[in-house]
Amino acid sequence: MIEISELEKTYNSGAVATQVLKGISFRIEAGEYVAIMGTSGTGKSTLMNIIGCLDKLTSGRYSLNGTEVADLDDNALSHLRNHELGFVFQQFHLLSRASALKNVMLPLIYADKYPEDAEERATKMLESVGLADRVNYRPSELSGGQQQRVAIARALVTRPSLILADEPTGNLDRKSGLEILDIFRQLNRQGHTIVMVTHDETTAVHANRIIRLKEGRVDSDQIVPEPMDPEQELDLLKKEAQ
Amino acid sequence: MRISRIIGEGVQSLGANKLRTFFMMAGTIVGIAALTVIMAMGKGTEKSVMKKVNNFGVRAVMINAGGGKGMSPPQEGITTLRLEDAEAIRNQVSGIDVISPGIQKRGMSIKAGNAQTQATAFAVEPDFHDAWDWYVKSGEPISAEDMATMGRVCVLGSTVHRQLFGEANPIGESIQIGNTRFLVKGVLESKGTSPMGTDFDNRVLIPLTTGLRRVFNQDHVSFIRIKVQDSKQLVEIGEQIRKILHERHHIKPPQEDDFAIVTAADIAKAARGISGTLSILLIALAALSLIVGGIVLMNILLISVSERVKEIGLRRALGATQSDIFLQFLAESLAITLLGMLLGCALGWGASMLVGMFIKAPIVITWEPFALAVVFSVMVGLFFGIQPARRAARLKPIEALR
Repeated sequence: MIEISELEKTYNSGAVATQVLKGISFRIEAGEYVAIMGTSGTGKSTLMNIIGCLDKLTSGRYSLNGTEVADLDDNALSHLRNHELGFVFQQFHLLSRASALKNVMLPLIYADKYPEDAEERATKMLESVGLADRVNYRPSELSGGQQQRVAIARALVTRPSLILADEPTGNLDRKSGLEILDIFRQLNRQGHTIVMVTHDETTAVHANRIIRLKEGRVDSDQIVPEPMDPEQELDLLKKEAQ
Repeated sequence: MRISRIIGEGVQSLGANKLRTFFMMAGTIVGIAALTVIMAMGKGTEKSVMKKVNNFGVRAVMINAGGGKGMSPPQEGITTLRLEDAEAIRNQVSGIDVISPGIQKRGMSIKAGNAQTQATAFAVEPDFHDAWDWYVKSGEPISAEDMATMGRVCVLGSTVHRQLFGEANPIGESIQIGNTRFLVKGVLESKGTSPMGTDFDNRVLIPLTTGLRRVFNQDHVSFIRIKVQDSKQLVEIGEQIRKILHERHHIKPPQEDDFAIVTAADIAKAARGISGTLSILLIALAALSLIVGGIVLMNILLISVSERVKEIGLRRALGATQSDIFLQFLAESLAITLLGMLLGCALGWGASMLVGMFIKAPIVITWEPFALAVVFSVMVGLFFGIQPARRAARLKPIEALR
């Protein structure tokens, strides 16, 4: 699915060149649920942008589903983002003047073939994240957790092969965060590949595998023997509240 | 289609900030409205000019006895305009189709039995009909034989006919013009009223020779009517005639002329009057508001692009290409100017109606200003929309999402 080898990224700002990624290699297979971890400044956001085809690498190789991403031009990258990737951002990034439904339908505008059942499909996606009764609400009328669920529905609507989440629980309280992680868990069980970037250990341990970055290099790459189950944690949270 | 979905995204954003959208449209509204009014007034003026010129005769030159500027009718006290002048013009000026001198006397008393009226008498040659494009509707015109015999025959204008005979046929009847008896041999077509309110049909025609010898006892004429072959030569021929008459009448400018030359071109110029100046002012206003409006539009769009950096980044992340973003913002700009155009046309149409009502300016509303409005608003929308659209398209998705 993802094959990265000797990936380097250098930013040139004026005369100063800053090397952020210094030779990263790993593979992620279809169906995996991976957390990429690191403290701020370790290059995890840069790596995320490169995996998300939003930024170009300086050297090394990155292939996504067998496509050499480094060789692609801007249009092809746009196409790839639309087809293969579903983004979930820390700040949700919903269009404030559009309803939940319109927000979910947004990526379909840029699809090669606009599905005839676009609205139906988007509605189903909203139902699957538990927002059947919020279809026509605007983002400002929704809670943070609900907004992030709209964003997940939007990421899923193009049926991408990879879901990329950047600190998806970063702006949420613990309960809402767990609900989002619960959705990820279920999506992974259904076969979705998920890559989640986070700095938070308690979030990362929900994934099946954690890749830790340190100063632009892979520090460790480990399978999580027993990933946390968000459902159990939510139950626990409920009991605490009572 | 993808393109229509993206245009839809651009158009939808107009509703987001209605006041701002209105400001972006304002210049287009005023510019297009001014344009519509100009065109309506221009068309209206042109129509009334054409009407006046047609009335006068498209290829006509009038030489009236008596000086003075403009369109004054022949002055009766002037005796210097003569048949020989007409002869000289006929011989020396090329490009003349018909030349026809005549005498005009206003306020002649005309009687038929008990009926009596006052009309202008015209003593003319048979060429009169061709020179004025004005023919008899019944009976016979003045003929060469009438001229040769100094015949006491006349042709009535339709007003005189009505005043003296009502609906009855006047042909063969006898009337008295001044103190002389005449036989009615024809009736002229009706020409209606002049723009100044003169009744063209309140006249009676007699042969020129009869007028000179039997009625008025004079050897000068009051006018020479000329029809040129090509209306493009009007001004040039007018100048040639002026030179000939200066020479023949021994007039050296700045000495005042004892004749006045009026051509169809002069009539058109006078009829256009100040509307030309007014049009230029309005055109300047239209151009200025379109340009200023375009600059306002561009600047607000640029502000809007920097406010919507996140939105643009998101769209890029979700798969929008640079050209998708470019098209979206260009569509927004175009939608604004096209909407402004519709409002401007409506405003201009209303304003034209008001202008027509209150200052009695002739107004003609045609499709042309609306077609022109579409062209101009598309031009403004494209020209001033390109820069913001390009800036939006060039944003890097990662910068925009930060």
